[in-house]
Amino acid sequence: MTNWNLYSRGDKFFAIVVSVLIGMFTVATLYPFIYIAAVSFSSGFAAQAGKVVLTPIDMTVEAYKYILVDPEFWISYRNTFIYTIGGTAVSMLFIIPAAYALSRPQLMGRRFFNLFIAFTMWFNAGLIPFYLNMRDLNLLDSMFGIILAFAINAFNIILLRNFFEAIPQSFEEAARMDGANDFQVLWKVFIPLSKPAIATITLFCIVARWNGFFWAMVLLQSQEKIPLQVFLRHTIAKLSDDDEFAITQLDAAYSAETVTAAIIVCSIIPVLLVYPWIQKYFEKGILLGGVKE
Amino acid sequence: MSSVTLSDVEKYYGPLRVVHGINLEIESQEFVVLVGPSGCGKSTTLRMIAGLEEISAGTVAVDEKVMNRVAPKDRDVAMVFQNYALYPHLKVFENIAFGLRIRKEPKEHIDKTVREVSEILGLTPYLDRRPAELSGGQRQRVAMGRAIVRHPKVFLFDEPLSNLDAQLRTQMRAEIKRLHKRLGVTSVYVTHDQVEAMTLADRIVVMNDGNIEQVGTPMELFTNPANQFVAGFIGSPPMNQFEGTVSANADGLFASVGNASIALPEVNNVQHGQAVIVGIRPEHISIHPVDGLPSIPIALDLVEPLGSEALLHASIDNQPLIIKAETHGDIEHLNSVSELYAPTDLIKVFDKDTGAVINSHPTGRIAS
Repeated sequence: MTNWNLYSRGDKFFAIVVSVLIGMFTVATLYPFIYIAAVSFSSGFAAQAGKVVLTPIDMTVEAYKYILVDPEFWISYRNTFIYTIGGTAVSMLFIIPAAYALSRPQLMGRRFFNLFIAFTMWFNAGLIPFYLNMRDLNLLDSMFGIILAFAINAFNIILLRNFFEAIPQSFEEAARMDGANDFQVLWKVFIPLSKPAIATITLFCIVARWNGFFWAMVLLQSQEKIPLQVFLRHTIAKLSDDDEFAITQLDAAYSAETVTAAIIVCSIIPVLLVYPWIQKYFEKGILLGGVKE
Repeated sequence: MSSVTLSDVEKYYGPLRVVHGINLEIESQEFVVLVGPSGCGKSTTLRMIAGLEEISAGTVAVDEKVMNRVAPKDRDVAMVFQNYALYPHLKVFENIAFGLRIRKEPKEHIDKTVREVSEILGLTPYLDRRPAELSGGQRQRVAMGRAIVRHPKVFLFDEPLSNLDAQLRTQMRAEIKRLHKRLGVTSVYVTHDQVEAMTLADRIVVMNDGNIEQVGTPMELFTNPANQFVAGFIGSPPMNQFEGTVSANADGLFASVGNASIALPEVNNVQHGQAVIVGIRPEHISIHPVDGLPSIPIALDLVEPLGSEALLHASIDNQPLIIKAETHGDIEHLNSVSELYAPTDLIKVFDKDTGAVINSHPTGRIAS
């Protein structure tokens, strides 16, 4: 129990303000999830009429039935998994060695390379040149193209580089004395010591890939290659344009809103399942006890 | 077993020269301690032997094979780091086995060797623990285990005890000495602690400002310091040093320090009126009259009891000095000390300009 007698009035006021702000932030973060879940389980009519606030109205799973029997939903779901797993794996394959190399003081031209990488964070060619570039590389409408084009992220490289730089140099030196080469130093020492940072960056990559929408929409034309987010957009467009759907919506068990919400819920579930697994790495560092500072 | 030879070794960081062309021959099985103040280049020298620093000029050879262009992993040297550098994600067993696994030694051999080394270092009960679950002394032992397990030609120690508390340091010091006796591996040990240097070394290398000031056995350095720096660095407390002027009379040479007159040993190459530095160790000074020695008046400032001995902080002509005196279980009698007697044959005379010793001390006698 907190003994409030030990705190000054200023401290108490600060604690109250912080608690209120955190409470507001929690509600603002959590409410959209609850709302979307509630809509997805509500009837199309209730959702259309704006009756859903916190809990499902006229509870039904019709929206889920609608999407789960659609083979395109499952294809896009599979594609999203491919883009997420493949993309994250390829990203980490590039990011980790790049961050390690850039963190080593002995790298020739290190300053230039760091500047070069950081430069891409602030400046890029823009939409049209990027599109033309992808076209000229024959990477339009290509699943591999989507994975490769966004494999390297300067921010993540810099984040991991900073983490690597903070690892005491004596670890690397000890490993070298023990006979390790650069790859072994990275693989056997730096990566295990950087699990929290790597977990964070992995999660960034997973979330970015999972939610990737814009470039997938621009670069992919084939229906069998689109990810879930683009399928979601197609579905919204289709349902909105569907006259029959519009006519029956007053007594419909599902509507554009509920189906959209159901797809969103389905798309959130895998991220929610992955997060707790990565969460443990965020909680504490691993360097404790290895070196005496 | 292996020798280590440093020939005209220099180290530059940009335009800054931190090691000034040092030469050193370390014999097989020898335990050599590099000692000196912070920034004197001792750790840099050790790291050049390890291959962790490039050698700007000169050569480092192990068993007469020049190592300048050989990677650390191929030098067959092992190093114990000041901050342990244990891999925190690995258990003690894996920490010790790391180098063997990297070298793809057979599993049975790794298991056998790690267990042998753990036995030697008393680490067997801790093999399943992670570094964070060990005490400072145990971690240091693991760090040594990691070095020993590969049976290297040379051990390098970079201030391995400086993070331990005083009691543990004394204990670990003895363990390192025992280990060296048992394994007989050529060892180079860096420290800024002259007590560590004195107790561990077969030979001590005193470094200052990137240069070697003197190389010798601990007792050689103690009794025959080559210059003021070594005299002031070796010994605890260090040698007292006073500025004085040489004068001579029928009884011999004297140094005038203010109103006091200190009898000097026979020195050929000093002149009447020459300014010199007179050095005398705290433990060589007597506070009781000694036949044939003139008394030297002092102003006593402070008495620090250490148990069987006490340190008397005093001054001669406003130049500070420390006397180490026996207490015989009581320090009251020390509070009234007003004069001292300096045995002539234990006095060192240094050139005031160069700091070099003028009289060497062939016998190395120490006052009883």
